[in-house]
Amino acid sequence: MKIKNYSKVKTIASGIIPFGFLIIMILYLIGPSSDLLEFGVSLPEITIEKIEFIDSEIHVTVRNTGPIPVKIAMADVNDRIQSAAIEPDKSLERFETALVRIPFSWNEAEPYTIGITLDDGVRFDKFIEAATPAIKSDYKLAGFFAIIGTYVGIIPVMIGLLWLPFIQRIGKNKYNFFLALTVGLLIFLGIDAMLEGFEVSKENFSTNFNGELLIITITLLSFLGLYYSAEKLTSRTSLTTSSKPLAIGLMIAIGIGLHNLGEGLAIGAAIGLGQVALSTFLIVGFALHNTTEGIAIASPLAKTKSPISKIIILGLIAGSPAIFGTWIGGFFYSPYTAIIFLSIGAGAIFQVALVILKWIYQSEQKLVQASIVSGIGVGMLIMYLTSILV
Amino acid sequence: MLSAIIGVSTIIVFSVFSEAQLEPKVFVTHSGQVIQTSGDVLDPLYTASTVEFDPEKYLRDFSYGRISESKNGQTIREFTIIAEDDKIQEISPGVFYNVWTFNGTVPGPTIRATEGDLVRIHFINNGSKFHTMHFHGIHPAEMDGVFETVGPSGGQFTYEFEAGPVGVHPYHCHVMPLEEHISHGLYGVYIVDPKEGRPPADEMVMVLNGFDTDFDAENNFYAANSIPFYYQHHPIQIKTNELIRIYVVNMVEFDPINNFHLHGNLYNYYPTGTSTVPTTYTDMITLSQTERGIMEFKYDYPGKYLFHAHKVEFSEKGWVGIFLVNDNLDQKSQTGIDYEN
Repeated sequence: MKIKNYSKVKTIASGIIPFGFLIIMILYLIGPSSDLLEFGVSLPEITIEKIEFIDSEIHVTVRNTGPIPVKIAMADVNDRIQSAAIEPDKSLERFETALVRIPFSWNEAEPYTIGITLDDGVRFDKFIEAATPAIKSDYKLAGFFAIIGTYVGIIPVMIGLLWLPFIQRIGKNKYNFFLALTVGLLIFLGIDAMLEGFEVSKENFSTNFNGELLIITITLLSFLGLYYSAEKLTSRTSLTTSSKPLAIGLMIAIGIGLHNLGEGLAIGAAIGLGQVALSTFLIVGFALHNTTEGIAIASPLAKTKSPISKIIILGLIAGSPAIFGTWIGGFFYSPYTAIIFLSIGAGAIFQVALVILKWIYQSEQKLVQASIVSGIGVGMLIMYLTSILV
Repeated sequence: MLSAIIGVSTIIVFSVFSEAQLEPKVFVTHSGQVIQTSGDVLDPLYTASTVEFDPEKYLRDFSYGRISESKNGQTIREFTIIAEDDKIQEISPGVFYNVWTFNGTVPGPTIRATEGDLVRIHFINNGSKFHTMHFHGIHPAEMDGVFETVGPSGGQFTYEFEAGPVGVHPYHCHVMPLEEHISHGLYGVYIVDPKEGRPPADEMVMVLNGFDTDFDAENNFYAANSIPFYYQHHPIQIKTNELIRIYVVNMVEFDPINNFHLHGNLYNYYPTGTSTVPTTYTDMITLSQTERGIMEFKYDYPGKYLFHAHKVEFSEKGWVGIFLVNDNLDQKSQTGIDYEN
């Protein structure tokens, strides 16, 4: 017993000792008395994360995204110096944010460039296509967002589910085609979500946040996490052949739901930022696009008798997150939440795509056949064509 | 990965978060809005200026040199000018910039002589780069400060020439890359007075200049005498019915033009100051690089009058000021300058 305990201590110690050396090494490299790494110049950097147009004031949220503390010295509108206030104060530690309030009687729908100058005279700016009054969070707007979310998320998915009887009536090959079509749709959606994330990261993130790597990491974590928990779930419940399709349908619905949350974010943010034309296109485009998601949920359910109520619930799971998305996007938009939701959604979608492929493989024992390959291809093409509308 | 986690946690643990100030501060915007804030005020207009260079002093500061007389009766004016290029100066409240200076300031001292004087300049380069002094005016080729570059860390050169022609001229470093040396601040004003003198007046020097603090070949700040908005915050005090004479030199780089507009008045303008007859009576002149001249005017009515670039971009970036015209209690009193200096 004692020997066993002793060996346990040894194991723990051997696990900890390298950590100790690692800490010593880091202290040696960047510790207070170290001058080993003092080469080059550390350049200050800030990122303008948000610009809001309030009654006769412009509110600018800035974050210190550089390697050293900075002091904000000046604000300008369209490259003309303006007096301004900064809260809580003008000194920003690394990653700290501050709100710059510029009193300015701005004109609606006009473009503005907001500049912030640091104490070393370097200016950072951000362009706003059209000034629009910051939206006021109230129940009326929340209701409006809920209606938009319903049009974009729930109704199109339900329309897509109406293809279920059609899919039920077709032969095995055609059925495999539709399953593969679903895989194609999902792969496209996953890639789309990641690209969307890259764009958000490029526009709003400082390079030293490694937005791209963050997206890839979260996508993979989401994929692995969902894959693992889904495997656990399906192995624990004694799966009959009839409940497995429903489980897959549920996974697809969850994945698509996360994806629709992302779409809701995009719409909410577009309305919130006053990009009216863009938000109209987004609503129409996503609505058309999302009917295909109904097909994706319908396909695995086709060969079993699933109660209508369960199918409707799946539709709601897939569609209603769009409403939450518009709320989050419209009322609390931040590039960080957008990227996190988009990446989780992408991971979920890839996981579902893999599960369906495995499912097809289990019944067919091979994936390379005309119906499957063409299904994936057609699925992606459909998505591409409908995505042009967005 | 591990090192990244440790690195990030070190940052989180050791970063010091600045505390918000609780006392609300108040400031007034250009358009007269009164704004209250719990934070700091970012404002080149209303924060007390802590800048190291004093435009108030520079405005009426003329350097006549150490005076002696040669055997044949010619007045000799000797100046010592030291160039440096390592100063970090606050060129607008809160904004720090590496200025290159003659005798520690941008612009350098205003060198003043009378036509026919012998000007002797002992130039010392204490900078880390080559520098020279190139005077606009008439002088021998070897005194032109172009090909005779003066080495860093104590290099010396003596410029010697007869003052002329009458007028207001710039001097500046002429080492390549020239734009870099000028835009960092190596320039100043050189005034040659006519032998008979000019009528007594309240005289001042205004160098129209700018700073490109982010090195994108566009100026971030403009000013008359270096500090943006300075004379708007600290109006120049003058008197009614008193002759005002301004020596204006445009040293702005990057922008092809600059200009000078006076409110509530017009001025007689003498381009380059070479003639005693004004060429125009106007409230607006436009100047290209190193174009300069003399303006003369009197105010009839007391009050606050703006003067600024009518290229409004420049005025909104600092090239704007105010004349505060006070009632002249003694109509006869005139603050002329002593030409016997």
